[in-house]
Amino acid sequence: MIGLIMFAVCLGLLLLGFPVAFTFGGAAVVFGLIAEGQGMFAMMPHRIWSVMNNTILMAIPLFIFMGIILQKSKLAERLLESMGFLFGEMRGGVAISTILVGALLAASTGVVGASVVAMGVISLPVMLKYNYDKKLATGAICAAGTLGQIIPPSIILIILGDVFQVPVGDLFMAAFWPGVSLVLFYVIYIAILTYFKKDLAPPIHLDGKEYGTKKQQVIRALKAIIPPLTLIVLVLGSILFGVATPTESSAVGGVGAVILAGMYRQLSIKMVWNSALETVKITAMVFAILVGATAFSMVFTYTGGDYLVEDFMMGLPAGKWGFLILSMLVIMVLGFFIDFVEISYIIVPILAPIAANLGINPIWYAILVAMNLQTSFLTPPFGFSLFYLKGVSPSEVKTTDIYKGVVPFIIIQVFVLAILIVFPEFFGISSIY
Amino acid sequence: MLLKVERILDRFSDVIGWISAVLMLVMLVNVFYDAILRYFFRTGSIAMQELEWHIFSIVFLFGISYALKEEGHVRVDVLYDGFSPKVKAIVNIAGTVFFLIPLAYLIISGSIWFVHESYSMGEISGDPGGLTHTYLIKAVIPLSFIFLIISALGFVVRNIRIYRGLEPFPQQKIEDNIL
Amino acid sequence: APKYRWKLAQTWGTGFPIFGDAVIKMADLVKEMSNGEMEIRIDSANKHKAAFGVLDMVKAGQYEMGHSASYYWKGKDMNTMFFTTMPFGMIAPEQYAWFYYGGGMELMKEVYDRHGVYSYPGGNTSNQMGGWFQKEINSLSDLQGLKMRVPGFAGEVLSKLGVVVTNIPPGELYTALDRGTIDALEWVGPSLDLNMGFHKIAPYYYTGWHEPATELQFLVNQKKFDALPKHLQKILEVAMEFSAYDMYARSYNDSAVNIDKLGTEYPNVKVKTFPKDVIAAMKVENEKLLQASAAKDPMFKKIYDAQTAYMKKARRWTEISDYAYLKDNLE
Ligand code: NA
Ligand code: NA
Repeated sequence: MIGLIMFAVCLGLLLLGFPVAFTFGGAAVVFGLIAEGQGMFAMMPHRIWSVMNNTILMAIPLFIFMGIILQKSKLAERLLESMGFLFGEMRGGVAISTILVGALLAASTGVVGASVVAMGVISLPVMLKYNYDKKLATGAICAAGTLGQIIPPSIILIILGDVFQVPVGDLFMAAFWPGVSLVLFYVIYIAILTYFKKDLAPPIHLDGKEYGTKKQQVIRALKAIIPPLTLIVLVLGSILFGVATPTESSAVGGVGAVILAGMYRQLSIKMVWNSALETVKITAMVFAILVGATAFSMVFTYTGGDYLVEDFMMGLPAGKWGFLILSMLVIMVLGFFIDFVEISYIIVPILAPIAANLGINPIWYAILVAMNLQTSFLTPPFGFSLFYLKGVSPSEVKTTDIYKGVVPFIIIQVFVLAILIVFPEFFGISSIY
Repeated sequence: MLLKVERILDRFSDVIGWISAVLMLVMLVNVFYDAILRYFFRTGSIAMQELEWHIFSIVFLFGISYALKEEGHVRVDVLYDGFSPKVKAIVNIAGTVFFLIPLAYLIISGSIWFVHESYSMGEISGDPGGLTHTYLIKAVIPLSFIFLIISALGFVVRNIRIYRGLEPFPQQKIEDNIL
Repeated sequence: APKYRWKLAQTWGTGFPIFGDAVIKMADLVKEMSNGEMEIRIDSANKHKAAFGVLDMVKAGQYEMGHSASYYWKGKDMNTMFFTTMPFGMIAPEQYAWFYYGGGMELMKEVYDRHGVYSYPGGNTSNQMGGWFQKEINSLSDLQGLKMRVPGFAGEVLSKLGVVVTNIPPGELYTALDRGTIDALEWVGPSLDLNMGFHKIAPYYYTGWHEPATELQFLVNQKKFDALPKHLQKILEVAMEFSAYDMYARSYNDSAVNIDKLGTEYPNVKVKTFPKDVIAAMKVENEKLLQASAAKDPMFKKIYDAQTAYMKKARRWTEISDYAYLKDNLE
């Protein structure tokens, strides 16, 4: 019971505006002390140690650094502007470019904090510069940054492979088409929306003053696109060709960005130094949230919250369709409040055997869960992607802009999830063993 | 007087931030170097690989202090934006006194046994050619939260001055650098 | 309501097969045999987040019990590694004989007394496999520059033979082996490896040398154990001992089932044994490393000598009994 009260209280406290990380941690302190006393907090160094040891998380500072260098050297701006320009009459070009670049980045990292922040740093300033609607801009960035969880490699899929006892590689393969479909639907949505609501995304006029021919402009745009795109492809390539692990590929990106900035004569010691300081600040923001959240989940589980949730799940009805729909709904609702790792390890182990009994293909079900959990990063009030993006946004972008901005993208995810439930064959996945 | 205290404490947070920034660049080179060495020269050392996450840990743990001073920690601004500077200052002072400092204190006191145990056992890495003196990196946990308390004092002093109207309310500083 | 409510921290995640099942079996036995007087709550790594902090937490009394493997504490106390398995060491029946009748338990107690922890055998995985390889190993030169993920003491031995020992987090192992970032990796054995899917990306599955009888470990905080009434102490010991043996049988079965499945569903995977000269070189390096540690620490030497002496005796019987029987049957 304490866990639930803590959730409600924490929600209220967050509204006061004290930093999210310390509000999570503070709520944990208050309720932890009441419920169990000071002794419980001797577990905290172990929990922080496990974050320190989790080398996959090194991708966060490294990708953030890459993003900031690309941003400060104006390379990111040119990439997105040029891509936006190439979409020509289609408005929302920068937002669409954001989704596409986000998808590429997603293929090289499975860490949401890394991709959301990198995309926020790279593309939010550009969209704001071109007077994009703040809600559309932030929604697109959160959606693009969160793609990392469904497009392999992905932490969620790795954890679910463990929980479902299925090969991670099979999950990676199964997740590919659902991930690509998401990208496609995002793009279609943005194209349609900006076609009808023209003021949401003004078109880009590339070097409007120099009246080159259309052809010259296109060539200029292509030239601007190639270098940063090469860098991102290089990051991906370093994984594919076995040069680097996915985590190490983020360092390839960071070093590559510095070299690229040098080639464009944008490099200075001051610029690298400021980028490093900025990276430290943003990285610390992300990890402070992780530390606060781990204190929070410690108190939640150690006061019996995990058993509470477990009992509830035991009461789900049987029958394939009833089970599928209800279990998805429950995961989605829980995703509003609980971290995806908690859900994967507390809820999913209860659901997995039930699904197996109903003859449901564990790979299909795992992908459904992964799609669903991906959504939880975007759902207000506790969606971590929202916090991360807010953390790198200028103060003119309000939390409510982000909250409202992600709603259409959440709806798209639910829509794709629904197709995946009804027509798994579309995605090359079998629904039964 | 308060201004002087605030400046000293802010200076301290800056220095911590600088250390983290240097280490962040070292870490970038470290990870890159390890991957290149393994792929092109088929060699490498466990110590260098372990160094990666040791540096990474210091970067994010020390960085928390710096981010506090730089207004880098994300807030939900739904109501906060509408508050007067006085109310904002009260939120910040109360949050620091009742949430941040107790959390940091509990982590510090909870870490003492954890670090001492590692020290008295002479703990080293369990992998071949790994790093020794594990207690040093474990000690970074309490150390970073001691730093956080020091930075938090600076944060409180600043908010006291804001409350008294001696200082304008700082904007989130992200935009100065990014935009 | 139970008079004694204990908490156990395990290194494994929720629902982790075989290892986790042994712990559940132990806890269930305690509850039933004590007629509900004692209950043990199991916390998995995803709850306590300290997979490799189990010794710390039991020692500090945050948990009364733990389930892990003794060689994980090698960095804290070198002498703990003898109580899991040793490269070129005893096989499971020999090692169980050593633990319970050959002085093993006494030596383990001597090592763990200093930590205030009562250590008990926690279930055997049976012989572990040498790992998944992308290339065939035909000679010692094939090990030169071979990029392999292999932790702990086995990694130390292999690094002496020119293997580039690489740290890769478990979550990235599949991608790394698939893309050739590493050439080989060591995991557990057929009972658990198939879940990771390595058989789909690596053609060679080498037999083991480094972990012939991996024994997991129950840890009990000594003070908490001493505070239990006599009959509950006995119940706990019986439950631990039974579930450990039971896990050995279970591992054997799951390995048998999976290796059969591997053979029929993935006929392209070749099960190989390292060439004789490679094995011989590993043995030499292993011996050198152990002797070097023994020279530095008298307790290390004491355990090492005791194990070596016991193995010699037990191996003689293994040769005459199982080995002779198998040899005649297989030929
Ligand atoms: Na990904
Ligand atoms: Na959420």
